Amino acid sequence: MSTLPIATTRQVRRAAVALVRADGRAFATVLALNVAAALLGLAGPWLLGRIIDRVATGATTGDVDRLGLLLLCCAAVQILAARQARYLAHRFGERSAAKVREQLLDRVLALPAATAERAGTGDLTARGTADSTAVGETLRDAAPELLVSGAQVLFILGAILTVSPLLGACGLLTVLGIALGSRWYLRRSRPAYLADRAATAGLAEVLSATANGARTVDALGLGGQRLAAGREAVATTHRARLRTLYLRLRYFAVINVSYTLSGVLVLPLGAVLVAHHTVTLGAAVATSLYLQRVVDPLDSIVVLLESLQSSTAAYARVEGLAPGPASVPAQAGGPAPAHEPADDRIRVAGVRYAYPDGPDVLHGLDLDLRPGERLAVVGPSGSGKTTLGRLLAGVERPRTGSVTVGGVPLAGLPPERLRRQVVLVTQEHHVFLGTLRDNLRIAAPGADDAALTAALDAVGWQHDLPDGLDTELGPAATRLDGARAQQLALARVILADPHTLVLDEATALLDPATARHTERALAAALTGRTVIAIAHRLHTAHDADRVAVLAHGRLTALGPHRELLAAGGPYADLWHTWRTA
Amino acid sequence: MNDPTAGDPGEPDVRGPLRFLCWLATSQLRRSLAGTFFGTAWMLGLTVQPYLLSRAVDDGLRTGRTAVVLGWAAAMLGFGLLSAALAWFRHRTMTLVRLDATFRTVNVVLRHSTRLGAALPRQATAGEVVTIGVSDVIRMSLALTFVGPGVGAVVCYLAVAVLLLALSPLLALTVLLGLPLLGLAMRPLFARQRAAENRYRDRQARLTARFEDLAGGLRVLNGLGGKDVYAGRYRDDSRLLRAEGYRVGAVTSWIQALGTGLPVLLLAAVTWIGARLAVSGQLTPGQLAAAFGYAAVLVSPVYFLLEIGQDVARALVSARRVVDFLSLSPDPDLGTAEPTSGRAELADPESGIRLAPGTLTVLACARPADSAAVAERLARFDAAGAEWGGTPLTDLPLTAVRDRITLAENEAALFAGTLRETVRGRTGADDAALLAAIEAAAARDVHDALPGGLDAPIAADGRNLSGGQRQRLRLARALTADPEVLLAVEPTSAVDAHTEAAMVAGLRTARAGRTTLLTSTSPLLLDRADTVHYLIDGEVAATGTHRELLRTRPDYRALVARDADSPADSRAEEAS
Repeated sequence: MSTLPIATTRQVRRAAVALVRADGRAFATVLALNVAAALLGLAGPWLLGRIIDRVATGATTGDVDRLGLLLLCCAAVQILAARQARYLAHRFGERSAAKVREQLLDRVLALPAATAERAGTGDLTARGTADSTAVGETLRDAAPELLVSGAQVLFILGAILTVSPLLGACGLLTVLGIALGSRWYLRRSRPAYLADRAATAGLAEVLSATANGARTVDALGLGGQRLAAGREAVATTHRARLRTLYLRLRYFAVINVSYTLSGVLVLPLGAVLVAHHTVTLGAAVATSLYLQRVVDPLDSIVVLLESLQSSTAAYARVEGLAPGPASVPAQAGGPAPAHEPADDRIRVAGVRYAYPDGPDVLHGLDLDLRPGERLAVVGPSGSGKTTLGRLLAGVERPRTGSVTVGGVPLAGLPPERLRRQVVLVTQEHHVFLGTLRDNLRIAAPGADDAALTAALDAVGWQHDLPDGLDTELGPAATRLDGARAQQLALARVILADPHTLVLDEATALLDPATARHTERALAAALTGRTVIAIAHRLHTAHDADRVAVLAHGRLTALGPHRELLAAGGPYADLWHTWRTA
Repeated sequence: MNDPTAGDPGEPDVRGPLRFLCWLATSQLRRSLAGTFFGTAWMLGLTVQPYLLSRAVDDGLRTGRTAVVLGWAAAMLGFGLLSAALAWFRHRTMTLVRLDATFRTVNVVLRHSTRLGAALPRQATAGEVVTIGVSDVIRMSLALTFVGPGVGAVVCYLAVAVLLLALSPLLALTVLLGLPLLGLAMRPLFARQRAAENRYRDRQARLTARFEDLAGGLRVLNGLGGKDVYAGRYRDDSRLLRAEGYRVGAVTSWIQALGTGLPVLLLAAVTWIGARLAVSGQLTPGQLAAAFGYAAVLVSPVYFLLEIGQDVARALVSARRVVDFLSLSPDPDLGTAEPTSGRAELADPESGIRLAPGTLTVLACARPADSAAVAERLARFDAAGAEWGGTPLTDLPLTAVRDRITLAENEAALFAGTLRETVRGRTGADDAALLAAIEAAAARDVHDALPGGLDAPIAADGRNLSGGQRQRLRLARALTADPEVLLAVEPTSAVDAHTEAAMVAGLRTARAGRTTLLTSTSPLLLDRADTVHYLIDGEVAATGTHRELLRTRPDYRALVARDADSPADSRAEEAS
């Protein structure tokens, strides 16, 4: 469920033009070389016209050889020019593709955390990989081709007009029909191709989900269900492809008839003009041959328009991340506050919060954190614990009310300032490609190995990786299981050393004994820091200075474990249930 | 003819990549033949136009007879329209051929994925399957263009040679020898291009992995920093890809320029030779124009053949991947023993675990992986060794095992679909039964919070749910399957104590009279079990009820008890 925008056709066009402008000189060189190649390509029919004229007026073998040699030379030089043009076009395309993907990365990195998380990794990844690759391939393959073909068409038409303006007008008829047809086609095909792309992505998703979940399919006998999902995705894709096919077929019909009409019209017209000695026989022959030659480049333009169309859809998704009025704001709203927080005190006042298009999940929450305290947040699932954690970490901004640190709204702080204040650790941890050292240094770029090792020790890390800190991590190298990844995430936080830490089920993946051990070690490493721990294991609450009990988006109790237990409310119930034994 | 869009792809020929491609074409034989017909007729039509043109020039323009010109122009118009119609049918038929091949391949790959089941992750990655479905199918269907215009191009090439033969044997020979020579001349370039493209794709895959890595870890980068470092690495890799792209371009540009240029060179040769023949009177000027026209017609079929040759070469590489995947075999399923009827004891000799029929057993172990391994053996996943009523599970047909024993894991996939489809699984359970299972899994609140209840959409991997919600839906799904034996690994690890208590109560009721094994160290679960097995180093160390074990085994007590005096409470002790 994407919440990320898609750019309009106009924005895409503007972006494409900007891309060409940025590399203007290379583009002009490519254009010039293509013009040269196209001009040389025109020499063929022209020289043939000359040969026919000469042969008709009694040429010698020597004349023919001279012209023939010229013909071969032209063809050879044309190959050289075309090669250079295509090579430069290819370089232009690769360069532009690199620009597009690097720019996209910057935009993704600048997305507000909440926006990026709601969009899901899938959508972002699709835009950054498949979509930007599609744009790159178009820039590399289709754009130069289009340029070459366009130049060829222009010069053939130019040649026709030069040889005989009257006959050349017939040639323009072809272009007119095609231009009108293309206009009609391009208007209708964009939504059709967007639908095609979405359906294709859906089909890939079914394949990927089935392959990823093959074990589950086996365990629960879900084969039939998966095949049915596949059938449905195939049927949807099939319908989308048929729709684009029939649009294309109508378009091609118009185009082919245009070719035929102009090719045919030139003949009787030529006959009349030759009869009146307005044009030479050679000119009439050359014109009809030129008109035949214009078909090929026009045809490839038509085919390229199709691939251009589908990659415009991809480009629209890439450009959708561009900052601008129709797109996402670069920051989660408003300028960053100018003040530095006065102190480390985090204060929640009258906070209500709702996820986009949803009802409120927090109903007027007030909470003052005491610097250096350990606060446990407990409550049944769905009571708003995670949301509170995200608000306290500045990931979300409240709908009404405020969450401030030292008097400054937390969610307004830019990431590099926010992370000096508070850091959120959740169950969803991520191990980056790279060495263990790289993974740790994210939080502390300048930390030496002793500091890194100390942080690992603090979370009970077993130093058993083959190359220690230099061990390459990732799917193709050493894989960390969930528990190890969680320890790594905690070690990062120790290195980041913010004054406040929000742990949302951050030890849930560790087995109970290790979790207890890790929490203890973490507490020792974080003395003096404020820790907000959300956990369903009530040991955490028992160990905390205060316990906040949430129910249905409200704070129902707040106080030390012993007091709450003595008060005998819902917390006491929860505690007794948990402890049964 | 079976229809892959209706989900029936037929049985593929996996004896080799070429055979697979042929199978794709012959599975839709009538359509393929229609494509061949339209492709050939259309290509041949291309040679008719210059012939008509040469007659119009020779008989009409040169002699100045307008009526004759008009006659030939009318013929050209008729042929042009016919040719447009042929092009229309060709494109339609060939697109349908390519679609059929695409969907047929996707269907056989999907079907084979479900057949492989648990054997898939051991032999292939999901990425490989997706690569087949996303890019390999495109390449293979592109190569199928050969059966239409490809055959047409060959026929056209031969037809032009025959037509030239009527004009001059020398010209015909030039054309006939020219094309194979061009193909030979380009071969080394093709090989270099393929090598460069492979290097490019490897780099591209690495860059894709980098982006996925960044997108997946965005939360960490936002929260902790390190954006600059990782963005810098992406940029470095992006530049390496660009450099590799330049190298691809260096070769590809030669192929492209020669692909269009060499046929033109051939054309120039034909024209020159033709002109010499015309000077010596062996050809009329009209025949010369026709010879040029025929040879000019060859430009696109020749280019086309050079292109399609490359397409087929690439498609063979893709088809090799598909054939390799389709040749992977599922786990051996040679058992023929009759499954035990009625109540039988499921046992794992390796650990010493025995499950008394109709009871709830909980497995407690300091190392969760050890108890998970026991459950896997008992469900005949990955490892063998378990016995059911004295018969090794491997002696039973796999379907019988899967039908009667269900393994429920926390890593189990949740597929995109409605809540109803998710919980229903393969059963035909009605809404009442589904709601009962949801209730038993303490997931009623999940159902109530979703818009549309049972019709609510569940995203792939349950991305629109919290960890605890996902876990409860997985349990509800396993309860709906209602197997004779249910093996659930850590089914309550992600929920709070209240929910956990509700889950275990629901589970007991729903599984009354059936055999259930849970792995957990939560006293809430352990206390409700008929039997608890305490596992040390993968072997049963003690068996009894939770209370018995608490009394008799201090190490068990240290593992599971949530007493106030457990080691974790040192902090509280210091405080008091």
